[in-house]
Amino acid sequence: MDSATEGAGSETTGKSRHAALDALMCAAQNGDRRAYQALLKEVAVRMRRLVSARAPWLGHADVEDIVQDVLLSLHTARATWDPQRPFMPWIAAIARNRLADHARRYARRQAFDQAANDLAEVFSSTPGQTHAERVVNLMSVRRAMNELTEGERRAFELVRLREMSLAEAADAGKTTVGAMKVAVHRATRKLKRAINRDGTEIE
Amino acid sequence: MNTEELIDTLARDAGPVRPLPTPARRVLGWLFVALGFAAAMVWAIGPRPDLAERLTEARFLFEQGAALATAAAAAMAALALTLPDAARFWRWLPVIPGAAWLGTLGLGCLRDWAQMGPAGLRLTPDPECFAYIALIGSLPLLVLVLMLRRGAALRPSWTLALAALAAAAVGNFALRLFHTQDAALMVLVWQVGAVLLIAGVAALCGRSVLRWPGVPT
Repeated sequence: MDSATEGAGSETTGKSRHAALDALMCAAQNGDRRAYQALLKEVAVRMRRLVSARAPWLGHADVEDIVQDVLLSLHTARATWDPQRPFMPWIAAIARNRLADHARRYARRQAFDQAANDLAEVFSSTPGQTHAERVVNLMSVRRAMNELTEGERRAFELVRLREMSLAEAADAGKTTVGAMKVAVHRATRKLKRAINRDGTEIE
Repeated sequence: MNTEELIDTLARDAGPVRPLPTPARRVLGWLFVALGFAAAMVWAIGPRPDLAERLTEARFLFEQGAALATAAAAAMAALALTLPDAARFWRWLPVIPGAAWLGTLGLGCLRDWAQMGPAGLRLTPDPECFAYIALIGSLPLLVLVLMLRRGAALRPSWTLALAALAAAAVGNFALRLFHTQDAALMVLVWQVGAVLLIAGVAALCGRSVLRWPGVPT
């Protein structure tokens, strides 16, 4: 499974990268420890990036706690993966579930739900099996972020990511509550369009 | 333990695993065990004296068929919910056979009323129904929980409620083969009521019975 192991580490396009992860998981189920190790490392990197970006108030230990939790869950549930199906929706569902549990534990549900939604960005997956084929392109999200005006990006960050109330955000951004509300709404709509055409990923 | 060490440990300990068979195949295995146990219980307690006659009645057969279909659908839904990438609609699978079951008993109530008047809808306490359903459903539930624990505890409350619904429906299916009680209202209230109560209690226990190992709830 050396080729699969190398495949996951190299810079490849989204689809072939997903195929490489499928191959790694398939090999892991067959007992290939190197492939399994490479797969776990890849998932750990993605989860760490996701959690750190979306829950910046968490310390390093807390982030690692969540990453390890997802890895343990993957390990426990690895017999439930069907090699005929893609790996991404499977691990995204597990990660979403573990994030939701952590959110309950930390009573920071809002922010973690955002992180769970942002799995689209990290794992390029869709929430349910019915949408499994509709792979979201990370580049489109980045492009959408660039398309936001400075005000919209700022508003989205304050209200959605830092969980400020509209009044607090308006205060911080030196603008009015109404303007803040409109900016958040516009930013959300733009991102929504970019991430998922039917708009299930954000909001 | 840091994450790198954890990855090394997990990778070192990981042997080959066989992907779980499909929920449909697993349900067949479960039904084999559950119905075998139910048959043994019916044999041990003694079938009702008029069983041969009942087995020629379309209404009795339909009610029993709907109960069994509800059990199979609920078990399949529970097993599917332990697969991370399974669609969410699985949890609603027992709705159709369940509605048929409730519907046929509801119609039975109307028929009893039409035939016997108010006497046909008399409701008297029948506590042993609950005990028998719980007793006969116990082993099927235990087996199903063991099967579910091989999956992922993503939706523990739903999963355990569906599992308990499946096991209790098998219990009710067996009960009617030895318990001489066919008044539709009595069956609906005491027997189906017991099945739903057991499923409801199971929903509350879901998180403690089905959980990710090593993760505090």
